[in-house]
Amino acid sequence: MSVKYIPVQWNPNKWAYNAAMLGGVGAFLWIFLYITPEALSHERPINAQIHNARAFGACAFVMLTVILCIGPLARLDPRFLPLLYNRRHFGVMTCVVALTHFSYILGWYFAFSSQGGLYGLLIANTSYGQIAGFPFEAFGIFALLCLLVLAATSHDFWLKFLTPPVWKRLHYLVYAAYAAVIGHVSLGILQDQQNHVLTAIVIGSAALVGGLHLAAAWKDRAARAGGSGWMPVGTASEFAEGRAIITRLPSGDRVATFLLDGQLSAIANACAHQNGPLGEGRIVDCLVTCPWHGFQYDVRTGRSPAPFTETVPTYRLRANGNTVEVHSDANPPGTPTKPLPLGALT
Amino acid sequence: MDNAQFLLTAATVWLWIGAAVALVFLAWGIDRVDEDARGAYVFRPLLIPGILLLWPLVLYRWWAIEVEAAPWLARYRPVRGAHPAAAMLMCAAMALLLAVGLTARQPWPDHIEPVQIGGPGQ
Repeated sequence: MSVKYIPVQWNPNKWAYNAAMLGGVGAFLWIFLYITPEALSHERPINAQIHNARAFGACAFVMLTVILCIGPLARLDPRFLPLLYNRRHFGVMTCVVALTHFSYILGWYFAFSSQGGLYGLLIANTSYGQIAGFPFEAFGIFALLCLLVLAATSHDFWLKFLTPPVWKRLHYLVYAAYAAVIGHVSLGILQDQQNHVLTAIVIGSAALVGGLHLAAAWKDRAARAGGSGWMPVGTASEFAEGRAIITRLPSGDRVATFLLDGQLSAIANACAHQNGPLGEGRIVDCLVTCPWHGFQYDVRTGRSPAPFTETVPTYRLRANGNTVEVHSDANPPGTPTKPLPLGALT
Repeated sequence: MDNAQFLLTAATVWLWIGAAVALVFLAWGIDRVDEDARGAYVFRPLLIPGILLLWPLVLYRWWAIEVEAAPWLARYRPVRGAHPAAAMLMCAAMALLLAVGLTARQPWPDHIEPVQIGGPGQ
């Protein structure tokens, strides 16, 4: 099975997502620049370049905060999953906003450096041995480099070329970037004690991101603590024809249990192509279609239809009273399994 | 050459090597390592920034695929184990940086009345 690369795989959901995101960015900048200068301690006269730099810097900080909240929110509550699936566009936009902040800073504070703005930025403050007056710009440069790497490797090609494990580890850089942004703000603008509103916003944002991640990690830890064996999937009334229930296993992997023609079958939730969420795909003629790129699998065998050769692991199911249970040990990819009739549940 | 000049020169060399790798990889190598890229050209300019930044990783992956050093099944194994550790490290770093930043703040002298400074000779 093959899907030729194109620049962006647009669909109506992505258009709506991007429209909402761009509208939000525009609204934030407009409010920051024109509505609330007093609340942001801009009552003292500052020029347009500094005002713009602060607006774009604040916008990038808020966007990165939202991005980092989406992941744990989706793990805590599946209703946030639609926000997760187009997050890469959000990330690229955040990088663009951060670059704009950077260009305003260079264009104002270092515009007349004899050897260029970048050189001026690097030599302006080199007091790395002290906390008060620490060159907070270094944190900003590091965060911007992280965002550039993340944005530059956001195309589907990179996920396949680098492989999901390497790509995922590379994208852990977002955590380092956010911590660096906190350092950039904490040792930079927060040193101005007049602005307690900003201090509260930054501390609140960091607490929100950290708290959500710790809550999601705690939930994952609780789910993984069960060990291997039979695990509950759901009761008969919870299944809908042609749809799946997704179960998290102690290993961290997910299983999608589908109801098809009154019979239940379970396969791995991760598509063999790029780990797309099969459990959220539709079933057409016994084949579940991955919502990301359209790869298809027979839910009873975990195999793509001939002549394609992709396979995913299958899982054993059993009835325990009115509850369907799945065994946490996966069958080898492509192993046919006997479906469990829904009528077997009592 | 001072440290700043060294960093900028190193970055320039890095990007020029990346540009050379991007030229060769996008014109020739990508068709060898990914069947989905064969006949697809419009998306390739989008890969240039990533190759400029990560060209050593690109060369390594290209080599690994050419010599089939990457087992097929391992490529599709989801990674979740390190997620909590990464989140905890981020939380610790944020708490440390905020604490250091707030501790280093100096009191604003708002309790001192401003004094008009006279000019020379006054």
